[in-house]
Amino acid sequence: MTIYTRGGFALPGTSVEFKTGSWRLQRPLHWHRDAPCHTACPAGEDAQAYLARFAEGRLQEAWETIAGANPLPAITGRVCDHPCESGCNRGMYDDPIAIHNVERFLGDMALSEGWAYPVTAPARGAVRVAVVGAGPGGLSAAYHLFRRGYRVTLLDALPEAGGTLRTALPAYRLPRDILEREIERLLAIGITFLPQHMLGRDVSLEELRADHEAVFLAPGRQQSREWSVQGSVPRDLHTGIEVLQDWISMGSVPQVSSAAIVGGGNTAVDLARILRRAGAEAHVITHNALPGPDAQPDDMMAALPREVAQAMEEGVVFHEHRGIRRLILRGEKVVGVEMVRMKKLRRPDGTLDRVGFEGTETVLHVDQVIPAIGQDVAPDGMEGPLGRKPFFETDAWGRVAGHDGIFAGGDARFHSRGTVSGAVGDGRRAAEAIDRLLRGLALPEEGTAEAIAFEKINLHYYEHAPRAREPVLPVEQRTGCQEIERGLNSEQVAAEAARCFSCGTCFACDNCWTLCPDEAVLKTKELASDGSHYVFDYDYCKGCGLCVHECPCGFIAMEDEI
Amino acid sequence: MPQALEGSQAIAQAVALCRPEVVAAYPITPQTHIVENIAKLVADGKLNCEMVSVESEFSAASVVLGAVAAGSRAYTASASQGILLMAEVLYNIAGLRIPAVMTCANRAVAAPLSIWNDQQDSMAVRDAGWIQLYCADNQEAVDTTIQAFRIAERCELPVMVCMDGFTLTHTLEPLEVPSQEQVDGFLPPFSFARTLDPRSPISVGTLVDPNYYSEARHSHHHALLRAQEEIIAAADDWGQLSGRHYGGLLQVDGPEDARLGILTLGSVLGTLADAREEYPEAPAAKLIKLRSFRPFPVEALQQACAGLSDLIVLERALSPGGGGIVGAEVRAALSELPDAPRVHNFAVGLGGRDVPLDIYPRLLAAAQSSGPTRFAIFDAELDRLPEGDR
Repeated sequence: MTIYTRGGFALPGTSVEFKTGSWRLQRPLHWHRDAPCHTACPAGEDAQAYLARFAEGRLQEAWETIAGANPLPAITGRVCDHPCESGCNRGMYDDPIAIHNVERFLGDMALSEGWAYPVTAPARGAVRVAVVGAGPGGLSAAYHLFRRGYRVTLLDALPEAGGTLRTALPAYRLPRDILEREIERLLAIGITFLPQHMLGRDVSLEELRADHEAVFLAPGRQQSREWSVQGSVPRDLHTGIEVLQDWISMGSVPQVSSAAIVGGGNTAVDLARILRRAGAEAHVITHNALPGPDAQPDDMMAALPREVAQAMEEGVVFHEHRGIRRLILRGEKVVGVEMVRMKKLRRPDGTLDRVGFEGTETVLHVDQVIPAIGQDVAPDGMEGPLGRKPFFETDAWGRVAGHDGIFAGGDARFHSRGTVSGAVGDGRRAAEAIDRLLRGLALPEEGTAEAIAFEKINLHYYEHAPRAREPVLPVEQRTGCQEIERGLNSEQVAAEAARCFSCGTCFACDNCWTLCPDEAVLKTKELASDGSHYVFDYDYCKGCGLCVHECPCGFIAMEDEI
Repeated sequence: MPQALEGSQAIAQAVALCRPEVVAAYPITPQTHIVENIAKLVADGKLNCEMVSVESEFSAASVVLGAVAAGSRAYTASASQGILLMAEVLYNIAGLRIPAVMTCANRAVAAPLSIWNDQQDSMAVRDAGWIQLYCADNQEAVDTTIQAFRIAERCELPVMVCMDGFTLTHTLEPLEVPSQEQVDGFLPPFSFARTLDPRSPISVGTLVDPNYYSEARHSHHHALLRAQEEIIAAADDWGQLSGRHYGGLLQVDGPEDARLGILTLGSVLGTLADAREEYPEAPAAKLIKLRSFRPFPVEALQQACAGLSDLIVLERALSPGGGGIVGAEVRAALSELPDAPRVHNFAVGLGGRDVPLDIYPRLLAAAQSSGPTRFAIFDAELDRLPEGDR
């Protein structure tokens, strides 16, 4: 039986004779709203929910909450650009919660404690779905399909799973043992993994379709874009992604004393850092602006700001708003580049157009030029759904128009975020869409859930508390593969979880129950369906709105009744 | 040992320690929690008392009047509109010299309707002939409630203990609740010399002709003036027993030689005291807590203000068309001094508006920068009003 307790510090006596609810013009409602960390997460993680469980000491449940959206938290806790923290309301008060450190801590703990993924094995004879590409997008799709009761076949052209995580992320950002362990145990839940299976070579898309009810394509972008300066190309041209992959897999670095790297993405920055580690001078030349408060969002280089900052610490030289006008060649060998300032002009439609700015030419003497201007999808075996485009055109659910049962995501998708968490989110959404397709259900409406605004938080109930700072490897020790950012310890992580405002979600502070002047708030031991322990008794609530104002986290709203 | 108690809960316990025999009340925000806590003590058998649930504040006050007239110790509590509905009975209780005690959980008065704190309700009945004591925090409210019964019964005058609604009544603080022995040692059983007795019937409060009325008012007025001694004595005796003293009629805190002073009543004192620590660079100022508003302590006030060049009077009420209520009385009292300080009179925190810490330096700056302010609502945002109303 549910027991209701009326009144925090005054149990009702005679006043229940007077039903003051009849005076009311507006009534309070519990109104759960998504926290901005949740709406900002491309992978769909609800950080508020797992921070709350962490703060209650329910660590395994906290990890399971993450794993409900993202099976790779030890990885994303390290490499994600954490938009959750940029969105965190606490950032407008003092510092955002160090959410990525909590995620990383829980991910590592799940590895060391061997916590099982919240899955049950699909039934014998369950429907089969194929996933092409075992990068973050494919792993996520495979996991979410498995959770939904499908038998999953996961193919990858390489001998090991991991995709970009393995081929393009340096170990100083993502230690190999973490990568190995998290992927290994994910595959071990019962996903059929077929390494060295290349679409178009070992199996065709049609064959896959014949054996599987749906296919999710997440092959990444494996084909470097063509690059030249006014038609001229140095003889010893290697693309950035090739050089990076060679270093990651074999440890080899071009023997140069200085290099110009063209491009503003993570590949360019990682490459520059690797060259610095080998003792070379590294210049990154980008048309865009360095990240910073003054940079316009559509003009900012694509690399993660954190990585750019660390690269600068390590001595990488950035040339922002610069393009290469001319290669200076001796024979076919590069001895330098002539750079020009790129001026950005806004077109009438608001987009940016870049033009070279005459008279701003400067010369940079370098031994090598390495383009890292991005890759396109290698079309092998996927010519149909690609339709001659350099990447897949999909809707938000990953559906490829005109190809029923074919879905695509991750870096291979047009408008991909180009991040690990973005790919994880693509995999999760595609899994849901595939599940609904195969069960004959309509897709849900695209949610436009707005995050709860900072103004709804009652700051009187929160004390300033500084954010914990993770230890960072000193620049002089950044010579090898040692991880640069270390995690926080358990006390620091617990303190971070405790700093959470709990935006839009009741955390049972008792304020409404204590302060209601009419004792119209009842408390229950059980959790009500709206996620709180409180119930309004509208017989007595006269609609003063005090609870709305005094709710620390914006969980109560007022509604007109007339 | 201190306990964490909601203000209302603590007041209920303090009332119970005084062993009332009759409690009558009608619920009103923000008083409800006080009476409900008393009702619970009665229901739990922890307080042997007649708890009368009535249909209006008029009846609540009438029940208390009758109960005390019949020889019982009696208590009620109310706020805002409730106090106004009681007003006729409040005058009667005082005129009949009935030693009742009530709590006013101070709240704004409609219209516009507001359930939040200011002190316009108790100020509206300042002329009813009650003693009015204002409390700065919940511990003071607990101790003052106990003192109030003794003052009332020794002076044969009713006492209204005023505490800011929500700011005090609904706030949890660590509090010392006195022991029953302490209270019993301080407050003897109630014995009312004019107790009604059916065996020898008398009539009280009857119609008097102009022959008697002026003398009755004179003696009532002087009884209130004389009550100052009992208020001081109660504070001193309770201070000896409990170790807690809040000043008798008023309390001065701050450097001896300060030339600036701020006088106020109620919980704003705590805000100002905190602000003084928060803004150590602000000019030195004395804080004067006016504890007894009725009787109005003219002599004590004159002593407290000697040597001040400027005095800010801060109140959570006003008399529309007049100005400050406390401010006017302070001015009148200080006008007898040869070097009276300039008085700057401000209302703040009306209808529950927060009084933030940074009001302290702003007030001091306002007092120093210009001539005396006759009266202004300090925190009113005039740009939100139509031009003609500013």
